[in-house]
Amino acid sequence: MDETVAEYIRRTVLKIPRDEIKTMLQKWGFLSEAQLQNINFHQIKENISQEVVQLCEENCADIKQAAVLDIIYNHIHQNKRMWSVYQMNKKGEETEIFDLTDFKKKIKRQLRTALKNVTINFREYEDNAIWIRVAWGTPYTKPNQYKTSYAVYHSQTPYVFISASVFRSNLPLLCQALVVATSYQDIREMELRGHSLNSLKDIVFRRYSQNFQTHCPRPLQERNVAPENADLRIIRENKMEKEKIERVNWEVFGHGPQPKLEFAQYKLETIFRSDPKMHILDKKEPFRCVVKFSSPDLLESLKSLAPAGMADAPLSPLLTCITHKARNYFKIRDKKDLLPGGFTSP
Amino acid sequence: QASGDPQRIAFLLRKQWSLYSVTPLYRFCEARLRDYGRQLGAFIAAERQKGLAVEVGVELDVKVAVSCLPDLKGSEQDQAALLLQLSTRSPTSKKNSEDKVVWLGWFCCVAGDDLSENLPEDFTCLPLFLVHGAERYTAIVGGWFQKTFDCYFRRLTISPLSLSWMAAMWAGCKEDKATSAMELLFSVPCLPQPLDISYAIHAEDAKALWDTVQKTPGEITQEEVDVFMDCLYSHFHRHFKIYLSATKLVKVSTAIASAHSDGFVKFFQSQYLTGVLMLLTELAISQIQ
Repeated sequence: MDETVAEYIRRTVLKIPRDEIKTMLQKWGFLSEAQLQNINFHQIKENISQEVVQLCEENCADIKQAAVLDIIYNHIHQNKRMWSVYQMNKKGEETEIFDLTDFKKKIKRQLRTALKNVTINFREYEDNAIWIRVAWGTPYTKPNQYKTSYAVYHSQTPYVFISASVFRSNLPLLCQALVVATSYQDIREMELRGHSLNSLKDIVFRRYSQNFQTHCPRPLQERNVAPENADLRIIRENKMEKEKIERVNWEVFGHGPQPKLEFAQYKLETIFRSDPKMHILDKKEPFRCVVKFSSPDLLESLKSLAPAGMADAPLSPLLTCITHKARNYFKIRDKKDLLPGGFTSP
Repeated sequence: QASGDPQRIAFLLRKQWSLYSVTPLYRFCEARLRDYGRQLGAFIAAERQKGLAVEVGVELDVKVAVSCLPDLKGSEQDQAALLLQLSTRSPTSKKNSEDKVVWLGWFCCVAGDDLSENLPEDFTCLPLFLVHGAERYTAIVGGWFQKTFDCYFRRLTISPLSLSWMAAMWAGCKEDKATSAMELLFSVPCLPQPLDISYAIHAEDAKALWDTVQKTPGEITQEEVDVFMDCLYSHFHRHFKIYLSATKLVKVSTAIASAHSDGFVKFFQSQYLTGVLMLLTELAISQIQ
């Protein structure tokens, strides 16, 4: 077995949390059940990985098989990577039947014609997701297995989720290959990025709970009955206001859990307008700023601002439009007719 | 106000410094710097024998250099800044190889008259202490100073109020070349999911705003700072319907310097160094009194 392959397998196993190693190796299926039984999974990871490498040696593993283990790891720990969303466009109405074998062949051909040294692997999952792993080399060097790009394509949709790798210069190549292999016209990067792949999918596939026209707010009264009965001398002063805020919040954000995003960025190029009494900065040029919101769970965080008294309800459409516009990067300019409070987002 | 030869203090720029306030030093003598260096070196060696400052697997001699930075002061009354440098030299490297600086700490006092004026004779006023380097060395050096000069170190935190002063002051500074933005960082920790908001304003636009607010050049009032911040808050609210005034300002960053509420500062321009130190000295003195 190649030295580099051995080392790659060793490092891949080391990355895996100890209690997941056995299941992942089973999913991988490269080592037999008998071989797996012989591994002591209770020793330190250094030793476990050595044993695995030893067994892979016996089975004569090559880089393609090692790459599959990497895909499995990255599929389970997909949220460790940063994903960008790309959308493809078709010109006509022809809906071609998707042929997986043809797709894979075309991707390989496209990439290999442009760049001799690439390692390409595919793995399909139940939700129609095709995971594509590409390790990039140069015309003179072998592919670097540690600097890989991942593309996740859902064949029934025009969307591809790409995890940017260090070699960003190879991105156009990958995009081109996807367009050719899927018979689409072109591909563009959406202004939507995040760590939670499933949430990005929820957003573009519209799988989050929508706010529909028939708003039947969950009766707040039901929730508050029990404690109120405790002591009639206790009155909640702004009960009405709080209920109104909660209801408006629900109308805007919907009832279900929000898709998980980590940040939203706004490049503002709007005119600065303050209280007219202050006579401050009556410039006609835009007040240029960039605002970035970050949170482990941004939308849930924004949703809680109004109830916490830190924001008005409803929250600004600039924030509440994130999910249905499927973007978290914005450029905001004033509307051409200068209506106060009106913004356009190109 | 220039801070002397920019080259000599260039090493102070672009490093993150942890801030401490220090109570006056008892019987500190500027003439005895070399003695202090030797004593501190011996103290560190002794602590290392006890196993307190050792990096895993590394046995290095720590050299101590103590010197003055005479340019870093506000007025003649101020005590000259005191610089401590800890360096190591690998035993395997050649004789004339350079020492590696592993820790830097300096005491200073810029316009500290409020405190120094009322001090009895035996006390030296150096209320601001800035550190860059491993915490274990900070603990040892701090311990030696506390023991030797009967002083007390405390982490210097910076309130949102002070940070907004810094924002207003630094926004107004004249800049020749293309500069970075003025960035304000707000934190909202007490939500179910914490939220950070970064509000970065183009340097020219921030300066233009401040220039409209400031009435007398060279003078800043609390009211002007409040108006400046309110303008920024209201522009933000207009777009997002969020009240930044209800959140906590934790960091201000401009082309001049950056400061974080947990007591961290970075200097970017030598010509404004004493100006920033003056503000920090004031904060340190407030914390001591």
